Amino acid sequence: MNSFFTIIKSDYLQRTRSYSFLITLCASLAIAYTFVPEPNTNYTTIRIADYVGYYNSAWFGYITAIMASVFLSLVGFYLINSGIKKDIDLKVGQIVASTSISNFKYLFSKVLSNFLVLMTIICIVFTMSIILFMLYNDGFPFEPFQFIKPYFFITIPTMFLISVLAVVFEVLFGTYSVLQNVAFFFLFTTIMSLSAKTGSDASLDFFGNDSVLRNLEEKVREISKSDEKPNLTIGYTMGNRDESKKFHFNGIDFPTKFIFSRLVLILFGTIIIVVISPIFHRFNVKEQAASKKLEPIIERQKVIKEISLPSLPKPQINFAILPLVKTEFLLLLRKGKRWLWLLNLTGMILLAVLPLKIAHQMVLPILWFLQVSRLSDLTTKEITNNIQYFSLASYRPISRLFVSQLLAGIVLMLLTALPLIVRLGLLSNFSEAVSVTLGGILIVVSAALFGIISKGTKLFEVLFFMITYANINGIVLVDYFGGFEHHSYYMLQISALIIIGMSISFIKRNYQLRQ
Amino acid sequence: MQLVIHNVSKKYNKSKYGIKDFSITIENGILGLLGPNGAGKSTLLKMIATVSKPTDGIITLNKNNIIKDANYMRKQVGFLPQDFGVYPNLNAFEFLEYMAAMKGVGGENLKMRIAQLLEGLNLIDDAKKPIGTYSGGMKQRIGIAQALLNDPKIIIFDEPTVGLDPEERVRFRNLISDLANDCIVILSSHIVSDIDTIADQVAIMKNGQLLTYGNQENVIKYVENKVYEVIIEKEQLSVFKTVHIVVSTSRKEGRLLVRYISEKPVDMSKSKQANLEDAYLYLIRTN
Repeated sequence: MNSFFTIIKSDYLQRTRSYSFLITLCASLAIAYTFVPEPNTNYTTIRIADYVGYYNSAWFGYITAIMASVFLSLVGFYLINSGIKKDIDLKVGQIVASTSISNFKYLFSKVLSNFLVLMTIICIVFTMSIILFMLYNDGFPFEPFQFIKPYFFITIPTMFLISVLAVVFEVLFGTYSVLQNVAFFFLFTTIMSLSAKTGSDASLDFFGNDSVLRNLEEKVREISKSDEKPNLTIGYTMGNRDESKKFHFNGIDFPTKFIFSRLVLILFGTIIIVVISPIFHRFNVKEQAASKKLEPIIERQKVIKEISLPSLPKPQINFAILPLVKTEFLLLLRKGKRWLWLLNLTGMILLAVLPLKIAHQMVLPILWFLQVSRLSDLTTKEITNNIQYFSLASYRPISRLFVSQLLAGIVLMLLTALPLIVRLGLLSNFSEAVSVTLGGILIVVSAALFGIISKGTKLFEVLFFMITYANINGIVLVDYFGGFEHHSYYMLQISALIIIGMSISFIKRNYQLRQ
Repeated sequence: MQLVIHNVSKKYNKSKYGIKDFSITIENGILGLLGPNGAGKSTLLKMIATVSKPTDGIITLNKNNIIKDANYMRKQVGFLPQDFGVYPNLNAFEFLEYMAAMKGVGGENLKMRIAQLLEGLNLIDDAKKPIGTYSGGMKQRIGIAQALLNDPKIIIFDEPTVGLDPEERVRFRNLISDLANDCIVILSSHIVSDIDTIADQVAIMKNGQLLTYGNQENVIKYVENKVYEVIIEKEQLSVFKTVHIVVSTSRKEGRLLVRYISEKPVDMSKSKQANLEDAYLYLIRTN
């Protein structure tokens, strides 16, 4: 048993002692800061009709716990869904495979390590909620239990489920991160819509918010003396702060059924791990891949022959970047499973045939999100594939290689959006067509920028996921592709973002090269 | 061609140096860079290949400061890093074309040059298969091919024989010998036999510093008349090692034949012809 905990501890330390985790913690702090709006800001996070709660301990504790449960489910998965892949990349997996550890023990250790990573972030959010209470509170006393209780019953079981899902997806989809990203995106959307319809069915309340939200609704109904169900919004709603009325919320006593459902959720997660353990590849990845498609080459005669180097044809100097763009584009095309291109083609056909509004507002952001894994390592794949020494020693790595990476990414995005751009062009909707083009460029520049800053793929993947989720929920604030707005001021703003993003990327890349 | 490394240091923190006050002048021919793991060989080679920059000192190629003008070096360097990867979804042709584009070379001859390099490195039959399916030795040969793509004038091989089998090592040495006529070849290894048959000059490094530099004869002079062989009992070996520098041991009729370096030989010892490996071990152990 000691060795089991040692594995968890080592895995946890390995994952948290990294630059990208530090960035994650900083981002968590920043996000947690926004969970309960500062009294003078003009947005709300949880609002029941025209009501928000007084800033007492219960409001802070419950609201931040609910927000953490929902938002960390959204982004947490992307932060932790490469634990097994890391072991493959670092070649630790083969050592693990040769030890006596069972599949279940190994996978469960990954679940617990994932859980610890998420709990570290939750601790940051929890601490931030107390600090915010001290800063903003309306003169109410500090009641620690009102903070601890919601986190314990709402957030922690959800984080455990997300930790389980991350491992399950890695086992089911192997190293194909594209599939993991896309499948989780649709699962999350389904869970969100199920949670909204649970009513009294606690077993479908994955985020554990339902009891609290229903209690809030009842309270508001009592105060407003209305029989109608008040309109409840979770998420960042802008511009309605001044109209808010306040009510007292003093927390709830969680029903036994709810507490039982949270325990069942944890048990359910553990059982899933037991069920999938037999199909875990146990790091026999190459062999599995080979048996399906690529057979490893066995050479019959493997000697270096005589080469007369002086007599080899002399290459000419050629500083054109087209060959680089071509290969970068090939790398983007060949990433992930081939049949995923069927999804892309389906998306492109839908862009051509669906009503213009749906094609632009719904299909385009989803189709572009399908490219997330292709784009996320646009500027970090040299490190992942260990060819950075070649690229660092290349001729003009910024103005040739980096530019070609950006161009290849832009070509990919515009190619996938081509049916829509053509349609808009044919309808003389040039400003919309330009907005789509600018959107594609902005995503590619963001992928490059976040890759360079974080030296990894997660930051971009998480942000792109959040933005896409907001896009398909019609939140105009994050409309980067002109789906809702495409006037000239909007295009100017997007262009400015592209220029700023590109400038920072160039400067930062240049700085990295100088080191 | 002249490569001058002048007082170069690579400092990691206040007290830790990867390379310290390293100076050497290299001209056409093969330089063998020897040193134990952690000596700073790769750090030095990366700085020469412009992959990293020194914290102090200058490096010039034909009087051009390559720290300020890295692209001058990049146009004419071929670099095989010690530990490198490939893009597994590309085939050998595509990967080498990509590498050529990175180096800024192309033209009509490029395809032919790639084909002939692949032919010479015995990869032509599998050149259209994804590199992800290649064995370790094949990937190493792809690395060698990319280093020779741009007709380089300065070639840097960092531990090039890792992954090659004995026959391939011999062929590789022949290949390098061919290169050395009108360019600089720097070859690092911690295996002396990879260096001694081909290097014109030898530099031995330890702890980021240069211990010695010169042609093989001069380096071997450090141990001239100090190398002996003697037969001892197995049980005596541990005590023997505390007094002398043991180069090698081999079993002989239930006892041990020991090759060692010492100022004063033990009784019954036979004097032996010193070689580069003796000199290398002597310098590493006594510094």
